[in-house]
Amino acid sequence: MLKLHNLSKVYRSDEVETVALNSINIEIEQGEFVAIMGPSGCGKSTLLNIVGMLDSPSSGEYIFMDEDVAGYSEAQLSEIRKHNIGFIFQSFNLIDELTVEENIELALLYHNIPASERKARVAKVMDKVGIAHRASHMPSQLSGGQQQRVAVARAVVGDQAMILADEPTGNLDSAHGQEVMEMLQSLNEEGTTIVMVTHSPAHADYARRTINLFDGHVVTENLRAAE
Amino acid sequence: MFQNYVNIAFRNLFKHKLYSLINILGLGVGLAACILITMFVRDELNYDTFWSNADSIQRMHTTFNVPGREPFVTVVAMGPAKEAITTYFDEEIEYSTRFNGLRPIVKIGDKSFDENVHWTDPETAEIFDFDMISGDMRETLRDTSSIAINETMAKKYFGDQDPMGKVMTLTVYGLQRDYRVTAVFRDLPHNTVLDFQALVKIVESDFEENFSFLFSQWFSVNNNLFFKLRDGVNPERVTARWDEFADNGVALPLQSLREGTKPSDFIKFSSMPIKDIQLNAVGGGEMKPTGSMMNVIIFSSIAALILVIASINFMNLATAKSTQRAREVALRKVLGASRVQLLFQFLGESILLALCGLVLGLVLVELTSPLYSDFIGKDLVFSYVDPFNLSIIVGLVLTVGIVGGIYPAAVISGFRPAQVLKANKSAETSGSAALRSGLVIFQFAISIALIIAAAAVYGQQKYATNIDPGFNRENLIAIPGVSRRGMVENQQAFKEEVLRLPGVVSAAYSFDRPSTGNESNVSVTIPGAETDQSILIGRQDIDFDFVSTYQIKLLAGRLYDRNVARDSWPSTEGVEAGQILEANILVNKTALAKLGFGTPEEAIGRVIRIGRGEQRQQDMTIIGVLDDTKFQSVRRQMRPELYPLSDSSYLNLTVRYSGDGAAMADQIRAIWERIAPDVPFNFEFVTESVLQEFTEEERTATLLAVFSGLAVLVACLGLYGLASFTAERRTKEIGVRKVMGATVLDIVRLLLWQFSRPVLIANLIAWPVALWGLSSWLEEFPYRMDFWMLLPMCAGAGAIALIIAWGTVGGNAAKVARRNPITALRYE
Ligand SMILES: Nc1ncnc2c1ncn2[C@@H]1O[C@H](COP(=O)(O)OP(=O)(O)OP(=O)(O)O)[C@@H](O)[C@H]1O
Ligand SMILES: [Mg+2]
Repeated sequence: MLKLHNLSKVYRSDEVETVALNSINIEIEQGEFVAIMGPSGCGKSTLLNIVGMLDSPSSGEYIFMDEDVAGYSEAQLSEIRKHNIGFIFQSFNLIDELTVEENIELALLYHNIPASERKARVAKVMDKVGIAHRASHMPSQLSGGQQQRVAVARAVVGDQAMILADEPTGNLDSAHGQEVMEMLQSLNEEGTTIVMVTHSPAHADYARRTINLFDGHVVTENLRAAE
Repeated sequence: MFQNYVNIAFRNLFKHKLYSLINILGLGVGLAACILITMFVRDELNYDTFWSNADSIQRMHTTFNVPGREPFVTVVAMGPAKEAITTYFDEEIEYSTRFNGLRPIVKIGDKSFDENVHWTDPETAEIFDFDMISGDMRETLRDTSSIAINETMAKKYFGDQDPMGKVMTLTVYGLQRDYRVTAVFRDLPHNTVLDFQALVKIVESDFEENFSFLFSQWFSVNNNLFFKLRDGVNPERVTARWDEFADNGVALPLQSLREGTKPSDFIKFSSMPIKDIQLNAVGGGEMKPTGSMMNVIIFSSIAALILVIASINFMNLATAKSTQRAREVALRKVLGASRVQLLFQFLGESILLALCGLVLGLVLVELTSPLYSDFIGKDLVFSYVDPFNLSIIVGLVLTVGIVGGIYPAAVISGFRPAQVLKANKSAETSGSAALRSGLVIFQFAISIALIIAAAAVYGQQKYATNIDPGFNRENLIAIPGVSRRGMVENQQAFKEEVLRLPGVVSAAYSFDRPSTGNESNVSVTIPGAETDQSILIGRQDIDFDFVSTYQIKLLAGRLYDRNVARDSWPSTEGVEAGQILEANILVNKTALAKLGFGTPEEAIGRVIRIGRGEQRQQDMTIIGVLDDTKFQSVRRQMRPELYPLSDSSYLNLTVRYSGDGAAMADQIRAIWERIAPDVPFNFEFVTESVLQEFTEEERTATLLAVFSGLAVLVACLGLYGLASFTAERRTKEIGVRKVMGATVLDIVRLLLWQFSRPVLIANLIAWPVALWGLSSWLEEFPYRMDFWMLLPMCAGAGAIALIIAWGTVGGNAAKVARRNPITALRYE
């Protein structure tokens, strides 16, 4: 599905130069469930942002579905991202002024999909993640777990082939964390590629493969035998 | 504690630079506008308050109620009324005095000028206390050949020499006399309705022979008549008895008074305190143009509105910003601050901001007040030691600081710490967001209404100046003063020489010239008609060339013919009392309507009758009907007019020319100065005198435009601030939307729409209000632009507001929309 080759990311501020990713080589196949782990500041989020085309690498190649997108413009990246990648964030990033339903619909709003179809698809995913009875609530009226379920719904409603999740359970207690993980797992079983950053080894166990980062380098890659 | 507040206040001022800047700028501009307007309004409200007798001086006004015409309203009085009121109201009136500006030619050595000299009675010195430089006003006004002049005139004629004892010759109305300067007074300040350069005593016998209308005839209103009430007399004792005075006190020679009518049915006297004249007097005969209460009200309202807009900015920005201060408030509360303490802290901050705004406002006032004074024609300065001004300043700062600060302070100090400190919850209540958009709507409604008003005033002014006057006013030079001694004898020669100039197309003598507003009327009856009711018709004496020179359309009949003797106005010389004279006459279209003569064609041959004194009458056959001309003023209703071919009362020569007007005027001047070297030459281009009628409107329109521009500016400053705060607040949302695939354009559109909505709603409020107000304002004008013209103005004002709002918000929105979403989503 995607391939990073000698990819680096360097942040330059006035004086300091931070190498967040240092010549990384990673390959991720269609339908994989990959967990990324590593100490704080090792470059996990940076990696995820680049994979998600929210950020561009400083050097190296990024082949996404047989296209080298490393040098693409923001508008081109936005176009690819929109159709292929969904996001789940640690802090949910729901919009406070919109209802649950509207928050989910947002992911379809920029896809030229007629309103009636949007409604139908939103209703379907809401059922799937079990949030339908809260459709017209505001995010502030939901628990953290419920909010993250809305975020998951928003990430999958567009039928994207890949979901990127940056510490999706970081703000949740273990019960709610479990819930979200199970949801991701079932999505993966339906064929969605999932790349997830996590600090929890237990949650990493849901993934087929774990990539350990340290200081911008890939240290190990563990493959877990299918059960 | 207090020190801590002050520190925090100043730090916040500098920390939130944009916020502070917008507030200070908006407030500075708003306060400056307010102060400038207050200066104007206060000045207008304080005319003639400086006289020692200000509270007991009144002026007598006269209104003629002529059947079938609008009342003829004047602020002047008949000459003999002076004696009559002093006798009739002996117990109430202590002194009375007349002012009559005859504009004599003043000659000293070989210099001669037209001057604004007023003839007055000795009581002037008792009623008014002039600021004397030398000499004595009382003595001067008792003497028939002494003159009191002002400082400017003394400088003009005598330079650095002592003017006292110098002699000047005044020529006017058959009078020529040497006057000795025996008093010099300081120039009258601008804030009085009196206006003259010099005063001399009225000697009625000087004018008795030919010009008795000036001072000694009833029914001729020429004099500004002031009187001073005796100490402690309630003005009611005079004002309530004017009708009684008219019926008993005036020797009204109204022979034609019918059964059951009283003089007071036809003549209404009234009086007005001198302090009220500037803003309240209506009618012709003022010494100089007065102000209008309407303008004072309009501009006071604008000042208030601008201040409201600036205060709203204050409030909106403060509540918008409150989310950023939520954490500070929460922490202070956790550490033990009470709500009241916090309330005072935030109020203090807003008053500090208001103070900064005031400083900027005062700087702006200082910078602009010379220009402003010049523009409104007053020498206004803002004095910092004046208690009124100081209280205005303090009042404004406290009002704005407290009004603008109290709501946000209450909101901010009411934050619940638990809620705020639990991250991820916006501390903003939906109530304050709704209030904010409500206030933005209100601001823009005000601004839009002001823009429409400015456009309408301008449009009406353009309409009125371009209205077809019924004659061709291009290429006309009007020359007044042809009745002056020295010229009156040479009228014929003068016209002939002017006609010989190359470039002169034609020339005509007439009584009046355009836009003077002069009135001269005769009372007309229709012989054989059922009622003997008389109709007052305006009289404009003309010569043979008048109609062709002004290019007035003849609607029916013929013009005057040199070969028809009956066309000329007959002289009464040698005609015995009770006789009937005969003549032909031209009238205008409106006269036909008043007389009930039907169409112009039907009117030809009809006869009208006027009195010619000593029971003589004159029957006049209508031979021609002229189209209506807006000769007097487009401000007035069209009046009925007749046009005697009479050469005894011409005041003006009008010349139609081709080519360069200024050069033409110079050539005419040369002829004038050769024929009448002692009479000053004056001239005006008719197009310009028509424009001059509208200088007041033009000034109002310009001021309105400037102040409404300022209102819009202040409102936009607020909008800009709000937009940047909103963008700030919505960064997360924008980030999410971009992650979901929104383009920069999508985001810009989203933000623009958010700010277009209040502006669009503001239009819905502003339009009906403006339309309603302006249509009733337009009603005041006899000739007014079409009501429907206001609609495009509304649309235009709405579009301007929207475009300005977009311009204000757009740049910011684009910047925000272009930002990389991960920076927004990263540190949540
Ligand atoms: N915009 C930026 N400017 C400068 N340096 C940055 C920027 N973003 C990230 N970094 C640096 O790059 C490195 C990697 O950051 P990254 O956010 O990817 O870490 P992380 O592995 O996600 O950490 P955590 O587990 O705490 O989320 C860090 O040293 C960080 O300080
Ligand atoms: Mg991270």
